[in-house]
Amino acid sequence: MIKLSETKTKVQWNGDSALTLFFDEEASEDLTRHILSLINVFKSTFPEMIVEAIPAYQSLTLCFEPLSIAPASIEDSIRQVIDNGITDAKETQTSQNIEIMDIPVCYQGAYAPDLISLAAYCKLSPDEVIQQHTKKTYLVNMLGFLPGFLYLSGLDEQLHCPRKESPSLNVPAGAVGIGGNQTGVYPVASPGGWHIIGQTPLSLFNPTAKEPFIAQALDRIRFVPIDVEMFEKLKGEQT
Amino acid sequence: MSLRFIQAGQQTSIQDVGRSGFMHQGISKSGAMDPLSLQLANWLVSNPINQAAIEVTLAGPTIEITEHLSIAICGAEFDLSLNDAPVFNNETIKVRAGDVLAFKGIRQGARAYLAIGGKLDVDSSFASQSTHLMAKFGGYNGRQFQSDDVLAVLSAPDIKKRVLPEAYQPSFTGNYLLRCCAGIETEQFEQESLDTFYDATYVVSNDSNRMGLRLEGEPVPMKTSIEIISSGLTQGSIQLPPSGFPIISSVDGQTIGGYPRIANVISSDLNILGQLKAGDKIGCLSVSREKAWQLLKQKQTFLDKLLLE
Repeated sequence: MIKLSETKTKVQWNGDSALTLFFDEEASEDLTRHILSLINVFKSTFPEMIVEAIPAYQSLTLCFEPLSIAPASIEDSIRQVIDNGITDAKETQTSQNIEIMDIPVCYQGAYAPDLISLAAYCKLSPDEVIQQHTKKTYLVNMLGFLPGFLYLSGLDEQLHCPRKESPSLNVPAGAVGIGGNQTGVYPVASPGGWHIIGQTPLSLFNPTAKEPFIAQALDRIRFVPIDVEMFEKLKGEQT
Repeated sequence: MSLRFIQAGQQTSIQDVGRSGFMHQGISKSGAMDPLSLQLANWLVSNPINQAAIEVTLAGPTIEITEHLSIAICGAEFDLSLNDAPVFNNETIKVRAGDVLAFKGIRQGARAYLAIGGKLDVDSSFASQSTHLMAKFGGYNGRQFQSDDVLAVLSAPDIKKRVLPEAYQPSFTGNYLLRCCAGIETEQFEQESLDTFYDATYVVSNDSNRMGLRLEGEPVPMKTSIEIISSGLTQGSIQLPPSGFPIISSVDGQTIGGYPRIANVISSDLNILGQLKAGDKIGCLSVSREKAWQLLKQKQTFLDKLLLE
């Protein structure tokens, strides 16, 4: 567990209506926990003021409405909270039910257009790529980028591969990709620069559902290989 | 009561002033790209000013009206006609059953807002009626309008006509000055990069949309690579990818960014982004945060004055 008092935090303006806090720590589960607990503290200390709190691997961006507060003093207020407002005891308050979510992925044929080229880059066989990708349990560090997109950590180094030089124009919803040292699932169809090694029939973002997102920060994700037949079956059950 | 889209236009969608509080789940603000024009259009039809209206982009729709309604159009100026007779922006227009409103050629700006006096039958999702075009929720079935769509109007009170005072009528010349304050990585840019950026005249690229505005012109040199820790990407952030051509993040932009940000467009100038179209010229001017706050306050005071009328 990171001791808050020992974490160096840099506070920086991000335009005229946001401040970003940078944490001098490697990205980790502890740091994510720390950032989530800070969000709770800021939200309870300044209930009306913060309109967005956006966590990332090593940063937290707080957005506010400049007209509804005294913007010149907000930086000091935030620094004050960081300097003396939080005890480590508060960190434990973020304890949530950690879910482990299995995401079925079809790593075959048309669902895996870039599997062979990625395997060649990584000097592995396609089967080895699938093995490496499915043997790990990934941590959800945060959501972002697109609605319901999960930023995961834990990708095996053997699978690290630079992003495509020119992004694909239309990556389908459910596509499972690798870009740099990251892996993830596209929740909605979008352009994208990651290598697509599979596709899940699950819908990661259901705007009308009671729980629109399948996971939240600190949850765990595992990828489970399925064949085309199972993909079609599960896809059918979704709709 | 309803509107029927005979032609839908290039990108016509329901937008209000956008949603907030969901960026940590990857859900961007969405909403009108020029919220001020949306608010003015709502004022003209006596709606709450932040209410949802129809955002019309570059090539506008042709709409058949089925009942008596009060409407108003603000923002970009199109050649507008009602049953082939010209009508104009910035005033309440009374329309009757069977009337056909057509947005023809665009004269200036990029986005117009068509407000309907009363309430529209549209979906609210994630605390807003704005259409999230990429993730397909909110607004009219989560998508932009298509031909033959029918938008129901749930109530349409009889209201008095208004004309927008001249001081509030915008002019979109195609040459814009965007005032900017420091972005998160600004300090890491060399002076030469900053000088190039602020001296340049950029041209808005054809490849611009509600996610972001791409600028062309003189690329900003980046001699040393700038170390990035990805963090929340706010509306108005000006990112510099390796090409050196700036990208200004807008209402549908991604919520976490990975390119260095050289500057941020100040809050009071964000609505200009909604009126930029390919070929428009952009200059950037550096201002302090204090100045940015002061300008935003002035703008709000100006709008408040109208609301008291």
